[in-house]
Amino acid sequence: MVKHLKKGPLGRAARLMKLGAGLAGSYLGYQLHRPFINEERATGQHRALRQKHAKQVREGLQDLRGPIMKLGQALSMQTHFLGEEMIEELSALQMHAPPMHTSLMRAQFKTALGKYPEDVFRSFEHQPFAAASLGQVHWAVTKGGESVAVKIQYPAMREAIESDFKAIRTAGFAIRLTGHLQDSVIQETERGILEETDYVNEARNIEHFEKALAPLGFVNVPKVHHDLSSDQVLTMSRVPGLRLQEFLKTNPSQQVRDKLGTGLTRLFFFQLFRVQALHADPHPGNYLFNNDGTIGLVDFGCVKYLKPDVVRCYAQFWSREWVHDRKLLAEIIHVIFGPNVSPDEARVRRCMNGIRAFYDEFHPLNIKNEPLQLADPKFMDGLARLAKILVKNKFLSPEFVFLSRTESGMCNLLHILKARVATTQIAREWMPSSLVV
Amino acid sequence: MKGTKSSSASPDKKTSGKRNQNKEQTKKHILDAALALFKQKGLEGTTTRQISQKAGIAEGTLFNYFKTKEDLALYFFQKETDDLIEWFHSQKHLQRASLPERLFAIIHRQLEYIEPYQDFIGAVFFRALQPTSTLSPLRFESQEHRLKYLRFIRSVLARAEEQGEIPKIGDLGAYAFGLYYIGIVTYWLQDLSRGKQKTLALVDRSLSVVTKLLKKGRWEW
Repeated sequence: MVKHLKKGPLGRAARLMKLGAGLAGSYLGYQLHRPFINEERATGQHRALRQKHAKQVREGLQDLRGPIMKLGQALSMQTHFLGEEMIEELSALQMHAPPMHTSLMRAQFKTALGKYPEDVFRSFEHQPFAAASLGQVHWAVTKGGESVAVKIQYPAMREAIESDFKAIRTAGFAIRLTGHLQDSVIQETERGILEETDYVNEARNIEHFEKALAPLGFVNVPKVHHDLSSDQVLTMSRVPGLRLQEFLKTNPSQQVRDKLGTGLTRLFFFQLFRVQALHADPHPGNYLFNNDGTIGLVDFGCVKYLKPDVVRCYAQFWSREWVHDRKLLAEIIHVIFGPNVSPDEARVRRCMNGIRAFYDEFHPLNIKNEPLQLADPKFMDGLARLAKILVKNKFLSPEFVFLSRTESGMCNLLHILKARVATTQIAREWMPSSLVV
Repeated sequence: MKGTKSSSASPDKKTSGKRNQNKEQTKKHILDAALALFKQKGLEGTTTRQISQKAGIAEGTLFNYFKTKEDLALYFFQKETDDLIEWFHSQKHLQRASLPERLFAIIHRQLEYIEPYQDFIGAVFFRALQPTSTLSPLRFESQEHRLKYLRFIRSVLARAEEQGEIPKIGDLGAYAFGLYYIGIVTYWLQDLSRGKQKTLALVDRSLSVVTKLLKKGRWEW
């Protein structure tokens, strides 16, 4: 394939994401890959022709729907199988239901809530303002006069996904035999995608984060309108703020940029160390920015709840005590690689050395060098290098995938925002105090 | 179907108009009573006697309006088509919508109309397969109604032809759509998904694929 290396942080993020995609070609890989797909496409004009071809293939598959489409998705996660452009196009199939015209949208709304939108809202915009995973989002005003966003799922997505996976299991026998598609991969993909079809689950996530993020004070999370929601329709209050690109058009001062960047960084480490759950869809459209430094966070379809053990390990990476403490090292290895893995195994040592090198370089114990710029391309390169080592050595913790995905998403935002942030200091602010050195 | 004896020759149009209106009302009244019974007991399990009792009229009067239960069923479908056409023309946004959306809206309206009477519709489908049935597509009685429906569909397709949305397909398009609709109803009857969502998805996807194929293909011989 073409080896034009994409320049800039997006390209780097993309390469990092690719690693994720190579990671067993699973739902995890897809999750790592997804948020950057659009940006990647926007930067790669020179690949227009190839993309056009790939697009045709995708559109063809999209028309057919059904198992072939899902198989396309599964293949899209096998990076070594297909060309770059093809992968991007196929990835776009992921959970991208076709747009619903007004008549279908109304019909589907009625099957989910028993009434037409105009019967339950004061006003309802028939044109969606955004595509969502599995559906689309419309603006509306409730009878009480509140502005809300209404997310509506394409009909029978769950059934389609289930039957497609059944078909893949049968039809994919040959592919599974060759080992290109593992059964566990199929299972994991199905589970992950099905979870995202349940908007009740998403509503729970929103409420969890609303409570958990309250101490931060500067993050706005939508409120769920339960009376106007179901597992296929989700009505949420409208969160104030502009998407990053629009926000930048208002020429915010460096001070505001720094404040927002600091906010983003605090938000990330607060989620990681205190909430122990991550809003793991760092697509730029999911963050809304305001001049007063407040940040809106939307779309909680993909949330990763972290195991406390893993969070502890992650915090310990910062402290580097494990370098000298064999017992601590054994604990970390137990959590990350599973039981009965010796710290002296070559792959384990390669991973731990990689981790140590990364932290020494970017999160030094001596923080005089702050502010460290996460937005610095060097950091992303470092993260990508580390990811490569870990993936190669079968460091397959799902937490790691979601963590790096969220972290690199944040770096991407910080870079575009051109914010200066005292990262290490912030990270230590939320770390369990026993671990702060 | 039944008597137009006095209507055209009547000197007093107002009275005859009113009489027709009354007649129509009675027919609807009977149909409502019958549908309620069909829902409870099914098409086969309901007798004309029960229908007349439920409607509060003499059995003889019932026969003035409907000779058989099948006549009643046919009347149901006529009403359904009338409702559909009237509704379609009242929907302003549909006049601007794309062809797949217009066709989707038509099918959805039809399915919504028959939704409360699923069992009845199922039984009617079975009956319609018998050549002696009034409901058989080969019978003139049902063809009159069918033609009205096909003409309506034809007019919808003709507009799309004029606007260049699809190539000229003539009456064939309406016939094909009629068959497609029957297929969809068969699928719909067996669709156990919530709110019959699978049917919604099937209709949406198939209509968009067919429209795309029509656009690409060469249909002029």
